[in-house]
Amino acid sequence: MFNRDFWSEIFMALRRNKLRTILTGFAISWGIFMLIILLSAGNGLKNGVTSNFADRIQNTYHIWASFTELPYKGHKANRYIMLNNKDIQLLETLYQVEEVSPVLSQGGTLIFGEKSKSVSMEGVKPIYKNIEGIKMVDGRFINENDMKNKMKVVIIDKNTSDELMRINGVSTMIGKTVFINGLSFTVVGVCKGQPWGDYGQCYAPYSTLQALYNVNRYYQLTFITRGLNTKEDNEAFQKELKKKLAALHEFSPDDKRAVWIDSQMVNSLETNRIFNTINIFIWVIGIAMLISGVVGVSNIMRITVKERTNEIGIRKALGAKPRSILLSIVMESLVITTIFGYIGLFCGMGVMEIVNMVLKTGEVATGGGEMSVFVNPTVDIKIVVSATLVLIISGVAAGFAPAWKSVKVKPIEAMNYR
Amino acid sequence: MIKLNNINKTYFGAQPLHVLKGIDLEVAEGELVSIMGASGSGKSTLLNILGILDNYDEGDYYLAGKLVKNLSENQAAEFRNKLIGFIFQSFNLIPFKTALENVALPLFYQGVNRKKRNMMAMEYLERFGLKDWAEHYPNELSGGQKQRVSIARALVTSPKIILADEPTGALDSKTSAEVMQILREVNATGITMVIVTHERGIANLTRKIVHLKDGVIESIEENDPDKMDFTKEIK
Repeated sequence: MFNRDFWSEIFMALRRNKLRTILTGFAISWGIFMLIILLSAGNGLKNGVTSNFADRIQNTYHIWASFTELPYKGHKANRYIMLNNKDIQLLETLYQVEEVSPVLSQGGTLIFGEKSKSVSMEGVKPIYKNIEGIKMVDGRFINENDMKNKMKVVIIDKNTSDELMRINGVSTMIGKTVFINGLSFTVVGVCKGQPWGDYGQCYAPYSTLQALYNVNRYYQLTFITRGLNTKEDNEAFQKELKKKLAALHEFSPDDKRAVWIDSQMVNSLETNRIFNTINIFIWVIGIAMLISGVVGVSNIMRITVKERTNEIGIRKALGAKPRSILLSIVMESLVITTIFGYIGLFCGMGVMEIVNMVLKTGEVATGGGEMSVFVNPTVDIKIVVSATLVLIISGVAAGFAPAWKSVKVKPIEAMNYR
Repeated sequence: MIKLNNINKTYFGAQPLHVLKGIDLEVAEGELVSIMGASGSGKSTLLNILGILDNYDEGDYYLAGKLVKNLSENQAAEFRNKLIGFIFQSFNLIPFKTALENVALPLFYQGVNRKKRNMMAMEYLERFGLKDWAEHYPNELSGGQKQRVSIARALVTSPKIILADEPTGALDSKTSAEVMQILREVNATGITMVIVTHERGIANLTRKIVHLKDGVIESIEENDPDKMDFTKEIK
């Protein structure tokens, strides 16, 4: 059935009406092109947003303190709650909490050689690297040994490191001694910087800073949980934790503002949900655009079939079976949609690859420390396969109605059609 | 070869038109029959029914011993392809195919491979003196050549019966005579032939003339074409 003659008949039919074929095909190309562009852009946005948390592990929590919203037990509203060591102890008694890393924030000035720079130093535990997804550029992060021996080591961010190296003419900051608020620290690692602010970012062992500054106030606590695998688990845990914190700090358990308990897992589930919705929306728009193309093809096939009515009648008289007529028309429509669909597909993918390349070059130029909104805006093979399916279905759909009509008409009527 | 029992056909339009009102007809194998009648007599409808290009409402039609009634499109296609060869007044050649491709087309629907198909088609073109025109398109051929191509196409599948609808209707008298000569030669090889015409001259070249009037057979006239003088023009 699908031999060389079959295909040569179809391509001959398409060649006879080149301009018409091209104009019809263009609508399909355009539909698929836009679908691919939209899907890629959606993907890029998703990749961009998620890449900012990509290296964080999912089962992490952040707690921030804030002002109370409601008066409670004789306390007025708008009282500031400050997290302290009791909160850490409370967290450590909870079964669901695997490991806590407080964030001991200490502003200060870093001096190395000729250069002094404002920095924010945070005393954290080794696990903090995973919680925040900190990327090391050089050296290492804080380890257990630093914690145990209260080592005066520090990790600085890449921008600060580059600045210090440039001004002091050294090739690496690893192993160098720097002064922060007059205390000497040894640089053991360089990490990717935060994308915001002009100040430097330093990490030192929590135990060291606690010993140096004897802090009992935290703006932020972070921890890793175990066994909380679903949104429901996490919500139940958040509720329980809030109740306990409310008792400890004497604020109303109904207070929505006093402490913020933020679950990475719930956040990413929420993010995924948003992007899935966007994705569905994109498909709906894309398919709607494609439908206009399909209608165009169907219309052209109707005209083609009409023009070819005589020929179809002759073929029937010579013994063409309905199947062969049906197939030749449906395949003609399928050939138009697939060929032009793939042209659109590859154009769309090509454009997005170029966009991707431009974005990458930009990333290299800015040192890679930027927060990205748009990462790898391309589509994967799954989308190509689904687009192919969509094309085939639409091609058959576009050709079927006119083909069926031509099959149904009596040969003599077809031959006498003028 | 052909047996018709009480064939009735009505076209249901705005006004129902009873075209064939009980046709009984038998055509034996190898016969050369013409159907004559004024326009509107139902002769073309009758031929279309014989060719399974149209259906009938009442009666029975046996073709080569098989009842042709309520056939599926597939069966009808098979019958047309294997048993029947058509020759039309307007030739009905496919304009974007060469003479050779046109002749080979019925074989394509039989599933004959390209090489064999073209060889057989070429043989028939050669038989009708069209070898040099094989690669020409229909619009590059004269009326007589076109009709010879369509005769070749009708014969290429070696059908049992040839149905010709006004085969000379679009041709001048000289070409008409040539075409009729060819058809008579084809008939002489044993192929049954039914020719629809409104020209007495053409009918005179057949052995049996069926006169159709207002959807009924008026008379069937036996005829001896050998009395005709072919050197004279037939119109």
